[in-house]
Amino acid sequence: MTTKLKEVDVVIVGLGWTGGILAKELTQAGLKVVALERGALRTSENDYSLPNIRDELRYVVRHDLMQNTARDTITVRNNPQQESLPMRRLGSFLPGEVVGGSGVHWSGHTWRWTDMEFKIRSNYEERYGKKSIPNDMTIQDWGISYAELEPYYDKFEYTAAVSGKAGNIGGQIQAGGNPFEAPRARDYPLPPLTPILASEMFTAAARGAGYHPFPRPSANASQPYTNPDGAKFGGCQYCGYCQRFGCEANAKGSPHITVIPIAMRNPNFELRTHSWVTKVLKDSDGKRASGVAYTNVLNGEEFEQPATIVLLCAYAINNVHLMLLSCIGTPYDPVAQKGVIGKNYCYQTGAGATLFFEGKHFNPFMNAGGSNATIDDFHANWAFDRAPHDFLGGYIVAGGFNTPLPIGYRPVPSGTPQWGSDWKRATAKWYQTAMTINASGSVMANRYNCYDLDPTYRNAFGQPLMRMTFDYKDNEHKMGGHAAQTINNLAKSMNPTRLNPASARTDPWTVVPYQSTHNTGGTIMGTNPRDSALNKYLQSWDCHNLFVIGANAFPHNSAYNPTGPVGALAYWTADAIKNRYLKNPGPLVQA
Amino acid sequence: MIETKRATMVLIMTLLTVGTARADGDPVRGETRFQECAACHKLAADANEIGPSLHGVFTRKAGELADFRFSPAMKRSGIVWTPETLEKYIADPQGMVPANRMPYAGMTSANDRADLIAYLVQATK
Repeated sequence: MTTKLKEVDVVIVGLGWTGGILAKELTQAGLKVVALERGALRTSENDYSLPNIRDELRYVVRHDLMQNTARDTITVRNNPQQESLPMRRLGSFLPGEVVGGSGVHWSGHTWRWTDMEFKIRSNYEERYGKKSIPNDMTIQDWGISYAELEPYYDKFEYTAAVSGKAGNIGGQIQAGGNPFEAPRARDYPLPPLTPILASEMFTAAARGAGYHPFPRPSANASQPYTNPDGAKFGGCQYCGYCQRFGCEANAKGSPHITVIPIAMRNPNFELRTHSWVTKVLKDSDGKRASGVAYTNVLNGEEFEQPATIVLLCAYAINNVHLMLLSCIGTPYDPVAQKGVIGKNYCYQTGAGATLFFEGKHFNPFMNAGGSNATIDDFHANWAFDRAPHDFLGGYIVAGGFNTPLPIGYRPVPSGTPQWGSDWKRATAKWYQTAMTINASGSVMANRYNCYDLDPTYRNAFGQPLMRMTFDYKDNEHKMGGHAAQTINNLAKSMNPTRLNPASARTDPWTVVPYQSTHNTGGTIMGTNPRDSALNKYLQSWDCHNLFVIGANAFPHNSAYNPTGPVGALAYWTADAIKNRYLKNPGPLVQA
Repeated sequence: MIETKRATMVLIMTLLTVGTARADGDPVRGETRFQECAACHKLAADANEIGPSLHGVFTRKAGELADFRFSPAMKRSGIVWTPETLEKYIADPQGMVPANRMPYAGMTSANDRADLIAYLVQATK
């Protein structure tokens, strides 16, 4: 029995950063908004306060803030020849399932992706020729420009309390910032976090090698801050529990302490938690979304929520899944290279070294999510010539820490036994002496890396799981080799007592160990409906009152973390809806 | 010789001001210092958030508010909040009440603390 509810102006599926931003902006514009969130309502005062939040077992091992794979998961394979199997336990990535979404448990790294990404195919063709892009590499321009997005990056950075040092204000290079960033209108709202020993040592070594280190921009408030909406942040206390935890000091830019409470105070807004959307419903002619169907996961009750505008704001993977389950747009076929839904799934790659310095005390338990220094010389630096190295894209390198858990983080030199008294002696000896240097690298789209519906496995609602087909290709392997070499050269220049060197990964990708929650693509944005699912306003080419907001819209993945453009695009879409769509509902870009 | 004596006196006076409440804090500057507290503590009555409301704090014993979940350490502390005890607590929260739940490392400057307390004396009434 399905209960049909009264129509509202807007229904939002998923209440994290993008859902929260849209909920705030559209309720303030006078629209009646209902948000449906799978997870529970949790608040800083009740759930993320001391001492309970510092619980590695609950939050790291048991994934308390994350998606429950017993209800829904994905199946995974490396290539179309393999049989895909369900991911029965979260590993490689950790989608949030709570009011605030992954914005509660992220580290806060906030980057501005630039025209280097948005015009990727044009840029590489212009510089290296058409033949520089392999046939299977399905990279394409995004249909948006950095100049269009700049004010929205600014808005997101000031909302989320990003601490950092500008590298380029209005074309003027700023000492100490990232000289390769695109011009910004003004500096970050807050100065950089206090550097830690590991980031200072990395900074010195990187400068010595002729690179351009800078403090990583992150939404960890370096001092108390009130954002333009009046949300108050405490200063970061460097407690070390950032990634995978809610912030105990209200210092991490998170939707549940910024945009969501503002929406919740607005009488136009209603939040329904434990609400699992199973389908986007369509009008009889299929040209408009008429609402969504959802199930209350606490009691199994089923509802239909009609709405004038439907916004998919779930985690990137789940947005794509909903599009496939709802039969909106043509599913992508990697053999014929036809269709768009599921196309250009991308991930990230990386390499890392651990350096041990006898006599040093790094105090790895004291840091913030963004406690590291970074170099961008091999990524946003367009002067870096890729031709001799035969790869496209790039990687950033960072020295420092990001939530090295007091129990979980146990650095020991290679060759140490993995258990027993020798291991215990080694972990006691080396714990304080270790720091890491890590690279995070882009992944270029490939025709065979994609999503579709799994033919075998179903979720708790009887629907097909989504199937992910992914592996690193030659481009990523070559870039990984280059990154490992850069890391090892830097590491050796620092003269560590012992070094676990970085090595390029060449084995197939696996979903088991944690890597990064930076999944992109599947319903990508672009300039025309033949090769993209969404236009530049993240509006569906097929149903004009359906917007799909998140990293699912990225046509490929960068070396940078995705939340900066995710937040900026949410504000950009909100403005497009408020200022243009409401006045004249229909396609915002003519196909 | 006189110069040395004067220097010594200045040094002693400086040392004396560290760790003790200064009576002459500036409440206007203190309001700015309160930004470090404001993300968690409200000044209105019954406005408990991530931290307890500070309304009427100088009339209370530590851990006394019925509708805030204090740590056992804070409840057991036996502290009566006065400008002096609160100043000492803000200087080093874990030092004064080990295992309390306030995630704040401490306000190191005695002048800042004096300004903050001067503000709180007015603002929590």
